[in-house]
Amino acid sequence: MPEFITEYTFLTQFAKRYNIPVPRQIDGTASRKKIKEALDEWGGEAIVKPDILTGKRGKAGAIEHVKSPQEALAAVKRISGMEIRGRNPRTAYLVEVIPSQLEAYTAITYNSSMLQPSFTLSLEGGMDIEEVPEEKKMTRSVDIFKGLDAYQISEMLEKLKCPQKLISSFSRAVVSLWDMFISTGMQTIEINPWRITPSGQAFACDFKATVDSANFKAKVPGLELPDYPDSSSSFEEEMSAWNESSHQGQAHVSDLGGDKILPILFGGGASTIITETLETAGGSPMFLSDFGGNPPYERMLGTAKICFKHRLADAKLLLILGGKANNTFIDITFQAIADALIHQVRELGTINIPVVVGRGGPRLVKGLLALKQALEYLQLPYIIFGPDTPVTMVAEYAAKLSNAVTAYQEENA
Amino acid sequence: MKAKSLSDLLKKGDRIAVSNITGREASKVSEDSQKYCGNIVAGWALGKGGQKLETSRGKIPVFATFEELMKSMKTKKKAPNKVIIYSPPSAVYGDVKAVVNHGAKCIETIFIITEHVAIEVTAKIRFLCQEAGIDVIGCNTLGIINGHDKVRVGAVGGSTPQDTFVPGSVTVISNSGNMVNTIASYIKSSGMGTAFGISSGKDTLILTPLKDLLALALKDPTTKLIVLYIEPGGVYEHEALAMLKKCKATKPLIVYVAGSIAERYDISLGHAGAVVEGGQTTASAKVAAFSEYFGGEPFDTEKNYKPTDKLKTQLKRGILVKTLHDFPRAVEMVATVLDIKRDLSVTSPLQLNPWFVKLDELGKILPPELALGPGTIPKPYSDQIKQYTQLGASFGRQKMRNTSHASSNDGVTPRIYGYPVSDIMQSCSFSSSIILSWTGELPENPFEEKLVEMALIAALTNGPGTISAQGTKLSTSAGNSPNMAMVGTLATIGTVHGGNGAKAVNYLLKIFGQRDFKDPYDTNLNVKSIAHKVAEDFKKKKMAAKEAAIEYAKIPCLGHPVFRNDPVNYDPREQIISNYIKEKGKVNIFLEFYHHLVVALKENGSMPKVMAVNVDAAIACVWLGVCWRHLKAKRMTVERIRDIPFLAFALGRVAGGAAEYLDHQDFGTQMDMRIPVSECKELTKPRDLEI
Repeated sequence: MPEFITEYTFLTQFAKRYNIPVPRQIDGTASRKKIKEALDEWGGEAIVKPDILTGKRGKAGAIEHVKSPQEALAAVKRISGMEIRGRNPRTAYLVEVIPSQLEAYTAITYNSSMLQPSFTLSLEGGMDIEEVPEEKKMTRSVDIFKGLDAYQISEMLEKLKCPQKLISSFSRAVVSLWDMFISTGMQTIEINPWRITPSGQAFACDFKATVDSANFKAKVPGLELPDYPDSSSSFEEEMSAWNESSHQGQAHVSDLGGDKILPILFGGGASTIITETLETAGGSPMFLSDFGGNPPYERMLGTAKICFKHRLADAKLLLILGGKANNTFIDITFQAIADALIHQVRELGTINIPVVVGRGGPRLVKGLLALKQALEYLQLPYIIFGPDTPVTMVAEYAAKLSNAVTAYQEENA
Repeated sequence: MKAKSLSDLLKKGDRIAVSNITGREASKVSEDSQKYCGNIVAGWALGKGGQKLETSRGKIPVFATFEELMKSMKTKKKAPNKVIIYSPPSAVYGDVKAVVNHGAKCIETIFIITEHVAIEVTAKIRFLCQEAGIDVIGCNTLGIINGHDKVRVGAVGGSTPQDTFVPGSVTVISNSGNMVNTIASYIKSSGMGTAFGISSGKDTLILTPLKDLLALALKDPTTKLIVLYIEPGGVYEHEALAMLKKCKATKPLIVYVAGSIAERYDISLGHAGAVVEGGQTTASAKVAAFSEYFGGEPFDTEKNYKPTDKLKTQLKRGILVKTLHDFPRAVEMVATVLDIKRDLSVTSPLQLNPWFVKLDELGKILPPELALGPGTIPKPYSDQIKQYTQLGASFGRQKMRNTSHASSNDGVTPRIYGYPVSDIMQSCSFSSSIILSWTGELPENPFEEKLVEMALIAALTNGPGTISAQGTKLSTSAGNSPNMAMVGTLATIGTVHGGNGAKAVNYLLKIFGQRDFKDPYDTNLNVKSIAHKVAEDFKKKKMAAKEAAIEYAKIPCLGHPVFRNDPVNYDPREQIISNYIKEKGKVNIFLEFYHHLVVALKENGSMPKVMAVNVDAAIACVWLGVCWRHLKAKRMTVERIRDIPFLAFALGRVAGGAAEYLDHQDFGTQMDMRIPVSECKELTKPRDLEI
């Protein structure tokens, strides 16, 4: 899965290591004196930005051009406390304003059309690249073994009619960017814009990147990545830690804010479809889940226990649903779910919610009967489907059932 | 791409080599694949060279490296032409490099099953394999199945691919491996089988992209319809549509695009590649692109589709479906409008078919459309359910070297099925502890505890002449130590002496195993009529056997060597147990059955007298009563209850044997069990050996 690298981390750690020119910067938590000194050095003005863990666009309103220490401190205070796309910044920081003769755009990514890395360049920096006309941007593939060299970059700059005197230093800066990309297991990197000064020096002024956590290079020695305020719930955090503790099976959850159906869903494809169907049919799923990968009993038990510990008490319906598994043993996964459910019901005292089940795959009957036995032991009403009923039909039924149960409870409250 | 047709990717006769074949997933899938199609010729796994993987079609040789594997192949004809990679992520690049270095002249396709391969490695694999002229499916594919040739690579179709993939006209191409299987099983109801099921892989870089797979499917003579399951990520679909437009394709596509939820909630889906390729990669952009290409509305189950020329033109391009369960009806509609022949008979449309329902009070408040009753469980599941609903548990097996349910010791106290031995010592009798040790639960009441105690006492001895007592005495007479004397006891009990209880349990389970009663002490069950019916059956079989002069199956645990000459015979020890049960105002259904049976056998002329129900039967009936609730609740296997009466007899008798040992040790003389030569009879005449 890709993980974000923040601009502040890039400015303070990556850029220096890989010799990429960047504007000077200072942490917003620095003393008033230091901030004043920085502004004095930078010509009296700066840009204040949030240090936030997101690669998405939409920081508009959270970036401020300041022209005095007073303005800077006020902006740092305001921006540090903002909520941006549901997340809080770790802090705010100030960067030097770079005067430019030209703004350029660069991106390196793994290109699904070329099936190899690609490099995109435009001299229309500062704009969304999708809005730049085709003739004003270029994309070329990069040999994964040889990499991107200064000649290739210069050639592209020539074709885009870059002023001659800017080509050399900018090409060298972009080669450094490739070095960083390939040396740190990055998956995407976008600099927009590079600000190129009248003297021809390029500065990387806005940075977005993701690293591929599956790449061993992503663990760069000597780098200290700061901790960012996490918008994850304790449920998501616990599941994430549990998932990372083993490679056997997978356990992903994302809170959706629903209040009716607790979904234990299997398979990336099926779980997406089921959740979408639940939403469309008004089932209000509590979270998106994707379990599977043939987990051993202990892994599935732990996964189910976490789900039930956090969400069972509030659920109106428990849904255990997946497609026709190719490789996951249903008896093992369902026995683990059954045991986790019994464990949590004992913790809670008693619950009375309907349970809807649907599954197919190896050792199905044994798995369904184990779960059925547990539900009877717990005296929970249930309805169990096999693989001959499509998952989307089961999801629609579960959504309607949860609504009927909720309506009845509200009427009789 | 090297493959010129879909069958170039996989066909009958292809020979597969499997990397990391001894791994958990690879070995299981390889066994299933061999059972289905037997196309795996060899595997390799570092450090495992020389091993063999047992399968139903023989052993698959395992080599340490791919190079060794290839060297072992004497001719190119025997060498693998496909490779499937199950290696851990960090080993994938090395394995692919080995295949390129040592198999480039033989290997046509590499299927990479491994998840979490770094995208940089994926790009390098693509580069290497393109140079070597090898096609790559993956990474993170589930594999491919060829429905007509009935061959597969990877786990497509699970352990029984034949249940889902019947030969037919539809090729399913899916980002999700699970959906290949799921969709193929759904569309069977529309009368369509599968030509190819292809899991393309779901990583950011899909090394055989959709446009290439579609180009092959368009050329494939067995493929009349193409079903696509699409997820967000990449521009594969846009490229594929450009290719379809360019070649003016006329094979209909039926397409479902999942993953719009990712846009609404700002979350990453497992399969979505996070490529900075603009808005084209989203689910909604893909839906829009397909809609534009098809030129019509998504399939509507309410709509009556008339086969107009306009509709035919549109459907030759294809149609979107809005939900997964619309696939069969959309396939059926397209096949009807375009006059595509069905592969199978059309079955009833997909519908909610509950297998098990227990809504109880909830069912009363639900509207009728939600208060569903049980449907019909299809084969082969219905047959499997019958097997599982028989009496007793069936547990999954595991390595038990250092684990036990029966006992534990946390360093503070030993425990028996979780209970501290110190607590048991203080509050339970020996017989209660034995019940706990053998059944996992303490007795429900003192009645069962007493019965077990009586059964243990009854087993202690039947006098010094019994062969188990003789076994002890022989050992003692020879000067053996106490443990060997007890072995003497145990060595001289067997299926005839002491082991009859197991036969009795078997016999009783055949009669009572399928009967729906929970309480084995229930006085309401009419065991007399059951006994009469059994006696009648026995009579018929006995007469038929006599007529044919063959042996007939005897009823176990009837008769006694001493108490056998009266018109009505009893084993006194069995009587003590029976009388105790009566005194308590109860019956033991099994023992009661035995009593009625011996009378019925006399009455119908099968036996000349009322035979004694012997103590072995009593012990078996006592324990079957104790264990019945565990069998019904599937907490105990049938194998265990077959063993327990024998163990109960052995436990009692070995204590009785100890008494014989002590007695003989104190009073006996050395070798006193020896039989003098004068008392031994000669059954063979002396002969001379010519020297």
